[in-house]
Amino acid sequence: MGKLIIDGLKVDADPNKTVLDVARDLGIEIPTLCHHKSLHPFGSCRICVVEKIWKGESTLQTACTYPAWEGEIRTNSEMVLRARKFILKLMLASAPESEEICKLAEKYQVFETPYKHNPKKWNNKCIMCGLCVRVCDEIMNISAIGFAKRGSERYIATPLDEYSETCSTCGACEFVCPTNAINVSDWTDREIKPHPSIFERGLISRPAVSVHFPQAVPNIPFIDKDVCMHFLNDSCGICEDVCVPEAIDFKQKDKIEEFDVGALVIATGFDLYPLMEIPEYGGGKIPDVIDALQFERLLAASGPTAGVVKRPSDGKIPESVAFIHCVRSRDPEHGVAYCSKICCTYLVKEAMLYKQAMPNGSAYSFYIDIRTGGKGYEEFYQRTKEDWVTFIRGKPARIVQNGDKVQVWSADTLSGESIKLDVDLVVLAPAIIPSAGSVKILKDLRLATDEYGWIKEQHLKLRPLESMIAGIFMAGMVQYPKDITDSVAQASGAAAKVLELFSQPELKRTPTIASVDTEICVGCGYCEETCPYEAIKVDERKKVAEVNAALCEGCGACAASCPSGAAQHKNFFKDQIFAMVVEATKDY
Amino acid sequence: MIKNSQQLNAFAKEIQTKKEKYKGKTIAICNGSSCRALGADKITQLIRDEIKKHNLDVDVVNVLTTGCHGFCERGPLMIIQPEEIFYQKIKPEDVPEIITETIIDDRIIDKLIYNDPKTKKKIVYKPDISFYKKQMRLLFESNEHINPKKIDDYIGIGGYSALAKALTMEPEAIIEEILKAGLRGRGGGGFLTGWKWKFCRNEKNDTKYVICNAAGAFIARSISEGNPHSVIEGMIIGAYAIGAYKGYIYVRHGYPLAIENFNLAIESAKEFGILGQNILESGFDFEIVISRGCGEFIAGESSALIASIEGKAAIPRPKHIHATEKGLWNRPTLLNNIETWANIPFIINRGADCYASVGSEKSKGTKIFSLVGKVNSTGLIEVPMGITLREVIFDIGGGMINGKKFKAVQIGGPSGGLVPESLLDLHLDFDSLKEAGTIMGSSEMIVFDEDNCMVDTAKFFIKYLMDESCGKCTPCREGLVQMHDILCQITDGKGREEHLDMLQELAWGIANTSLCQLGKSAPNPVLSTLKYFKDEYETHIRDKKCPAGVCKALIEYIIDSEKCIGCTLCAKRCPVNAISGEKKNPHEIDPMICIKCGICYEVCPVNAVERK
Repeated sequence: MGKLIIDGLKVDADPNKTVLDVARDLGIEIPTLCHHKSLHPFGSCRICVVEKIWKGESTLQTACTYPAWEGEIRTNSEMVLRARKFILKLMLASAPESEEICKLAEKYQVFETPYKHNPKKWNNKCIMCGLCVRVCDEIMNISAIGFAKRGSERYIATPLDEYSETCSTCGACEFVCPTNAINVSDWTDREIKPHPSIFERGLISRPAVSVHFPQAVPNIPFIDKDVCMHFLNDSCGICEDVCVPEAIDFKQKDKIEEFDVGALVIATGFDLYPLMEIPEYGGGKIPDVIDALQFERLLAASGPTAGVVKRPSDGKIPESVAFIHCVRSRDPEHGVAYCSKICCTYLVKEAMLYKQAMPNGSAYSFYIDIRTGGKGYEEFYQRTKEDWVTFIRGKPARIVQNGDKVQVWSADTLSGESIKLDVDLVVLAPAIIPSAGSVKILKDLRLATDEYGWIKEQHLKLRPLESMIAGIFMAGMVQYPKDITDSVAQASGAAAKVLELFSQPELKRTPTIASVDTEICVGCGYCEETCPYEAIKVDERKKVAEVNAALCEGCGACAASCPSGAAQHKNFFKDQIFAMVVEATKDY
Repeated sequence: MIKNSQQLNAFAKEIQTKKEKYKGKTIAICNGSSCRALGADKITQLIRDEIKKHNLDVDVVNVLTTGCHGFCERGPLMIIQPEEIFYQKIKPEDVPEIITETIIDDRIIDKLIYNDPKTKKKIVYKPDISFYKKQMRLLFESNEHINPKKIDDYIGIGGYSALAKALTMEPEAIIEEILKAGLRGRGGGGFLTGWKWKFCRNEKNDTKYVICNAAGAFIARSISEGNPHSVIEGMIIGAYAIGAYKGYIYVRHGYPLAIENFNLAIESAKEFGILGQNILESGFDFEIVISRGCGEFIAGESSALIASIEGKAAIPRPKHIHATEKGLWNRPTLLNNIETWANIPFIINRGADCYASVGSEKSKGTKIFSLVGKVNSTGLIEVPMGITLREVIFDIGGGMINGKKFKAVQIGGPSGGLVPESLLDLHLDFDSLKEAGTIMGSSEMIVFDEDNCMVDTAKFFIKYLMDESCGKCTPCREGLVQMHDILCQITDGKGREEHLDMLQELAWGIANTSLCQLGKSAPNPVLSTLKYFKDEYETHIRDKKCPAGVCKALIEYIIDSEKCIGCTLCAKRCPVNAISGEKKNPHEIDPMICIKCGICYEVCPVNAVERK
């Protein structure tokens, strides 16, 4: 086998590989723009040219297309650098607005171009590498876009320059573009549905394969089958090509694991009242009206803006922010009657953090009354009042878009004036409501809830950790809005309760459970259908119902439904109840 | 239906004897596209009508509509055989005279014969015309003797006998013969055809293809229109040699006559059993399909051509893996230029040694060139390889029009280099041309005289190439635009010293980093003019003058008041009324209004208008 000498390093020649492959294996850096591992070599940008010396003659060849035949290759010779500089100067003239090209040019000591920009060029960032066209064709099998015209007039277009019917809005073209030159919205007028990042509250979108959030456990990416093109039209699969450890397995299926456990702690959290259902505040359609959790992400250093508060509409740093308290809380007519308890404190905190980041910015707080109960919270609130936040007592009636500002219509109930305030950003504190997941799991577990969907405890004051079913405990917001302190305390308590349960050799139950008089029971099964705890079952052989004492919660549903009176509630037999009723209604 | 070579021979003999016995005259009238454009088809019809009118028998006169005769400038033209009387620039009203005078009365019509512009002598017979004298028409000669629409005519001149011979040979022997003949690809690259065939033969694949590139310009059109069977014969021999069963002829959609003639030729060859199953009882099957292209310049590049046949846009791809290995639909493909294919029957029939005796040491055979520009005789010429430029331009071409001074000749199409007077003794073959900084390319020759500005000429070709670039790779797409921009600045009088270096750098970059041959050869017009005519660039840049008086921004027209007789001719003809003056008094040109069209310069009877 012949030898390939590449920058002085001798390797075996292998015509099945390209010079680029071999160089990269050896850790030799060759710049590329039109190359993509998953696409056929194209050789259009010419930036990867290398010098091939064969029989004493030097030629320039593109590393991405040239087979690793025997001979000598120089990737950094004078000739190569001259050619790359030449290409970069042409690109600087044709794509002057591309930051990526400027950066690459600087790397090659090219800081300006002697050539003129063609004002008729279709796009001032595009370098016509064709990656977008090729990914749409080769990977996505869609070919919604292609090259139009030729020569210097060449551009990327949909057929007849009309909005594409076939574009799947997958966004691959945008993703592969090395110079950020194109948008999916150039090709289609269909609504482009981004896949919003749930963790970032939709402030940014995420690809079809992503990690849930930083520090997720386990910290492993997942493929979203509902949006992944591979699962939608059997195309793509780029992730498989680029994953070096070959960890991508499209055949993997969702698995449901079953565990037998002795106790459950339900800590399924909460949701915020959806902005869509608050029409007077824009109904979620004003981009710069966000909820407090979104604002929390904007403040976070690991968030989408790396901790710099930038408003969603245009990325501008807001110079004024309005914080609105009690959105649908304490509002039985439109929302919930209860106080969401924690909003006052966190809104004050967020206003304070905003002021610390933007000392010249203005923070306004619209409130009904401030309820910052909790250790140290009131003192914190008092401090923000000093000269950090302007507090306006009044509940805004409307929030509207006003140019690039957002206008808050409200009244100052202290002075009696009406206010129209233009701000850059509005942060709402919507009511805290049970999370959609909680509602489902509580229903599946047949756990009782109150009118709002919060889980019911055995006794509000005396047994606030136990649910109505023995062995199921609760922690945090699944029960009722509460702050972190309370949630942690309750969670510790629930854990202790579990330990208490597990430390006993036998389960102790209250004696007030159901029993069946087997002499009367005919095994009709009514009780079995009614029992919410699956504690009563008909023995098919004996044709009588039997009670599982460990499961029965003594609710009495079976006794009430039994047509023959065979099912009875211990200590609450009919006669006893009637006697109690008689005694209770007796005139003294 | 011809079943075998014996039958073919017998058939050919039959036609030949019929021809030999024929004692009447034959009017061979050129019906190539160029002559047709000048009215040849109308003239043909008139001749037929006239013959009918005079009740002339087929034994007396016979009309033959042929393909291109080459001397297109003088069209419509005809040759009256057997005397080979050459009539040119025939008008419809000349037709009755031709029949009554020449055919019936055997008299030469003086006004239709050729007048040599150089010697001013009248020449009656075709072989005496200097345009034809120095040519060696191995391929083109038969054009005058056959009707391209009739396979009988082709068989009559010995057509398909090479095929019959080849089918009795071993494929390897055929390739050996081609190799020995030293035939080099006529597409411009000049790669040894025999090697290409050998590589393709050695590929182990059940499916192979042969392709004929007939997408070229003038030459490809004339061969396809004039003698399509020679191409088909060549292709069948090539397919047999490499083991292919299907061939494609790639023709421009813009050549309807070529497509028509190819279609007829394929159909009649099928009827005769020369194409299709079991050709001449050899057991070899072969079919040919016509693939029409839209006629882009880039579609002549082999990988772009293959892409076009595949139904994709004609855009080149990197050719590190040759088409002989992975070509059409990734199968081994033998792609040759139409002229190469047309050479094959000759080599097989007459033998490699006979073929190799023609031409120069490393370039064998004849080559067809299209000769145009400022020479007296233009058209298609076929000359032996190695002939000098001087012979072509001054003997065949009849020298410069109006006795102007020769300045340069561009060889090889738009991306060819311009060769100056000092290189007039250059031999026309692949290697000498390369050395002189130009290419064989599409074998087009454009002659320029002293009235042509070399910067403007280079700009013209760069503009063409810029518009024809496919736009795939950066250097060709962007570089040519920049090159054109700089050339525009120079011709507009905005040239700067550094522009020369910038042009050199652009030329280097485009030539070295472009993907395909279009880009690699595109800087040739600039490089060669920079090399041979640098002084013209410098005059444009430093003195802001165009020595040839072409670049409008750099010239001005002035009336010499001493010479002007005040005839008002110039003022009357000036399209923008820039000239003022009283009758019989000297006139003046207002430079602010003047658009430098040059009409005054041309019309002045006393040469009082000066161009500076």
